[in-house]
Amino acid sequence: MRGSIPILRIGDALLATVHVELHDAVAEAFQTDVLTAVEKRRTRGLVIDISGLDMVDTYVARILADTGRMAKLMGTATVLVGMRPEVSATLVRMGYTMEGVHTALDLDEGLALLRRLRTRRR
Amino acid sequence: MSHRKYMKTLRLDDADLRSRRAFFELRDEDLARLATLRPFAEKHTDAIVDAFYELLLGHPETRRFFADDATIRRVKHAQREYFLGLFQGKCDLAYVEDRLRVGAAHERIGLAPRWYLGAYRRYLQLMHDRLFADLPEAEARAGFDSVQRLVFFDIALAVDTYIAANLDAVGRHQAAIRELSTPVIRVHDRILLLPLVGAIDSVRAQQVMDTVLLRVVEEKAKCIIIDIAGVPVVDTKVADNLVKTTASVRLLGAQTILTGISAQVARTMVQLGVDISAMHTLSNLSEGIELALDIVGKGITSKSRLRGGAGGRPAKREG
Repeated sequence: MRGSIPILRIGDALLATVHVELHDAVAEAFQTDVLTAVEKRRTRGLVIDISGLDMVDTYVARILADTGRMAKLMGTATVLVGMRPEVSATLVRMGYTMEGVHTALDLDEGLALLRRLRTRRR
Repeated sequence: MSHRKYMKTLRLDDADLRSRRAFFELRDEDLARLATLRPFAEKHTDAIVDAFYELLLGHPETRRFFADDATIRRVKHAQREYFLGLFQGKCDLAYVEDRLRVGAAHERIGLAPRWYLGAYRRYLQLMHDRLFADLPEAEARAGFDSVQRLVFFDIALAVDTYIAANLDAVGRHQAAIRELSTPVIRVHDRILLLPLVGAIDSVRAQQVMDTVLLRVVEEKAKCIIIDIAGVPVVDTKVADNLVKTTASVRLLGAQTILTGISAQVARTMVQLGVDISAMHTLSNLSEGIELALDIVGKGITSKSRLRGGAGGRPAKREG
């Protein structure tokens, strides 16, 4: 299951594109992969693109939010991009507002937000 | 709505007709008895119809439905047909359809059910008096009993028509309001505005949320301003929906600015314990637009500053 979600490097940011349904084993592996990459490559930002997901259940939402929080502990900001309107509505209705994770409309916006976050910190 | 549509809306088919007739205890022998009373009915039609219209024309509120003598002649003629229709000895779908036509006509001219029911009482009394005057008591009682069954059957159809017509009107109005209720406007590049006007119920709240989320993605908006200056009452449901909409918009990667919160609404929201800390809230729309522009990295500058050239700096939002 490891490696089923590719994690690419763009500048000093990491990009994980989730395009397959994240269930149990895949989700666990994804989290491990991302955190390992963050640790190894000393990145400053992580973008998780979920525009390929039609459906996000509470389990996946928790995995995504947790991954973001874990990355933050390791000094990496996470931006979740490309969430679909129906997905966001469903998540909020289920009480998942994903506090602590940054969000952006698409990949470009996400990378721009990471740059802004970095300059703010300096 | 035509009476045919009512037939469909009220789901009047053979099965329903059977069930209605059973409940009103309208048996075939009642219909047969009514058919034998036809000569009696024909003899009294004119007198009964005239006496019936005495009541309607003598009351100011029902008088206004009859504009001139031509109208009165026309409705009296229709009434005669209706009256004789009771003594056909038939109660099939064609009969029901005919009765719905009458109900639909009453609804169309705006005759309220109370006048209809009141007039019907007079009708029954007129028939009662004449039946007992003309026939031996036992026969008169049986005849009146059958008349009553059919009349109440008719009344039920008319009342159903009234209700169906009103529900239909309400449905059409709701659809019209729904279409007008969420006008999301593109104010500027990547800035959307949703002015909310009027009361918000749960259906509309849901629609507001869905529309906002769709449009934010469609327009790639950075922020959406929701102006609630036109919303008279903000209750827990509406407040909760605003909070949810804000949270969902954030998940998409945009921001929500809430403007036009009146003192009354502000008080209610705090008293309801709504947590609006996650939202940008500003008193009026123009401030909302300024903040939105600030978010997309723009600003409003006065012309004199522009003309001032190098020395002038673009005006910045305070705070």
